[in-house]
Amino acid sequence: MRVPPPILAVLALFALPFTPLGYGQASAQEEERTTIGGYGEVHYTNATGPDTPGQVNVRRFIVFLAHAFSERIAFRSELELEDTKIEGGEEGGEVALEQLYLDYTLSPAATIRAGLVLPPIGIINEVHEPPTFNGVERPSFDRNVIPSTWRDIGVGLIGTLPGSSGLNYRVFLLNGLVASGFSAGAGIRGGRQEGKEASFANPSLTGRLEWVRLGLRLGGSFWYGGSAAQDPALGTGTFDNAVALVSADARYDIGPFMFRGVVANVSVADAEAINAAYGGQVGSRIAGGYLEGAYNLLSALAPSSSQRLNAFIRHERYNTQAGVPAGVVRDEALARRITTLGLSYKPVYNVVFKGDYQLRRNRAGAGEDEQLSLGVGYQF
Amino acid sequence: MLGCLFAAPAAAAQSARPAELAKSLERVYGPGARVDTVYVDSAEVYRVSRDGTLLGFAQVRNVKGKDQPITYLVATDSADALRDVDILTYREPYGGEVAYEPWRRQFRGKTAGAPLQVGKDIRNVSGATISTNAVTRGVRRALAELTAWHAEGRLR
Repeated sequence: MRVPPPILAVLALFALPFTPLGYGQASAQEEERTTIGGYGEVHYTNATGPDTPGQVNVRRFIVFLAHAFSERIAFRSELELEDTKIEGGEEGGEVALEQLYLDYTLSPAATIRAGLVLPPIGIINEVHEPPTFNGVERPSFDRNVIPSTWRDIGVGLIGTLPGSSGLNYRVFLLNGLVASGFSAGAGIRGGRQEGKEASFANPSLTGRLEWVRLGLRLGGSFWYGGSAAQDPALGTGTFDNAVALVSADARYDIGPFMFRGVVANVSVADAEAINAAYGGQVGSRIAGGYLEGAYNLLSALAPSSSQRLNAFIRHERYNTQAGVPAGVVRDEALARRITTLGLSYKPVYNVVFKGDYQLRRNRAGAGEDEQLSLGVGYQF
Repeated sequence: MLGCLFAAPAAAAQSARPAELAKSLERVYGPGARVDTVYVDSAEVYRVSRDGTLLGFAQVRNVKGKDQPITYLVATDSADALRDVDILTYREPYGGEVAYEPWRRQFRGKTAGAPLQVGKDIRNVSGATISTNAVTRGVRRALAELTAWHAEGRLR
């Protein structure tokens, strides 16, 4: 297949003016290097209400394994164990590869990445090590709207645009979602294939553009791809039952204050056909967002300390049935409003002791409760 | 030519490429400066001067990012205050914002007595916590060493 000249020109642009990384020259010959790292978290959660005793859990333990073959080529991977262990016949527990890919850096503007990767959507999906976010559990929005931790297999390009624009991008072609897994309460979350013998019937495009200034990071992400997975009840076309996701997010740090916010909108095309095929109540539109503010109490209580005690408050508002197809009556309990207040104590920037109190409400007023959570987490 | 004064040891990992290092020193200290390589134990330090007057000292250092080293230059003036920090090689796909001038500018003028802590006198780059903490930590150590060596007379 011929590569059209415009595409060649764009590719040449990426290879252009940047300092070549170490090829040909006698100096800076790198040794190969293997790195082991990881992150993990242990939780205590206790919801209000009868019949809900407290629970403790090693929520996740991740081993990060990477190897630099040269200055340009690196292998990176993450292996995860959830809920302490897996025992036959018992619920919970999962061992899974979360990431596994090769990076080949052509220039600072273009690194080719291939393998099991994280779609660059929102904040939490790419950056979810415990010390990087407030609250013991990840925001519920980052489960049911942007289904973190989302990972699929494919190939893509990442890089920083030249000059001092502060713009960086990532774009990938990955295997798609599978509509049979969609649900009313968790949106597209159950449709993730997670790279296990995944069908490539619906190759999907995903990408992100970020703008970075001192103290500010703005991002916009998208996902577009079919989800029919060649089910004849839905369609055998590549883009049948397309899922279109757009999101925008911001992080802003100033002095002792830290803010973040995310909004996302997910459209599920022909949700009516999905419900007819699988008997669910999947929404045709899933949308929402959250806003969070935090303040480092130690900046006032112990100004000379490099430790942090962040007091935060977050409000999430989302609806996995923001839009419904014909034949579905909205479940008002799925229009959720969750407020989380808490503290994160970071003696060093890689370790966190967390506590939070969460008020979980919804438009129907059904099944509302509160939850107290405590957790410890680390990354290195 | 500044380039002639360097013979970057070929076998050393993460040494700076001669051309890049020369360009960086010229940008920090101005053109026409004389650079001599001096050694404190096994550490290689550059003594920068012009017309016999000491301008300062500079050193190429490495600090670990997430899984690759970040190679950077720490440059001081004759009073042991930072003239600049320059990122010579950033190898990882994320966190490269530490090379941006607005972030590096924060280090200028600081002495070894400054806290040099992310979140205090050095602003974080949101979403690039690992690289900002790594480089800040590295600069703090480098400045402490260069200041101590100068005070002890091991750098003159």
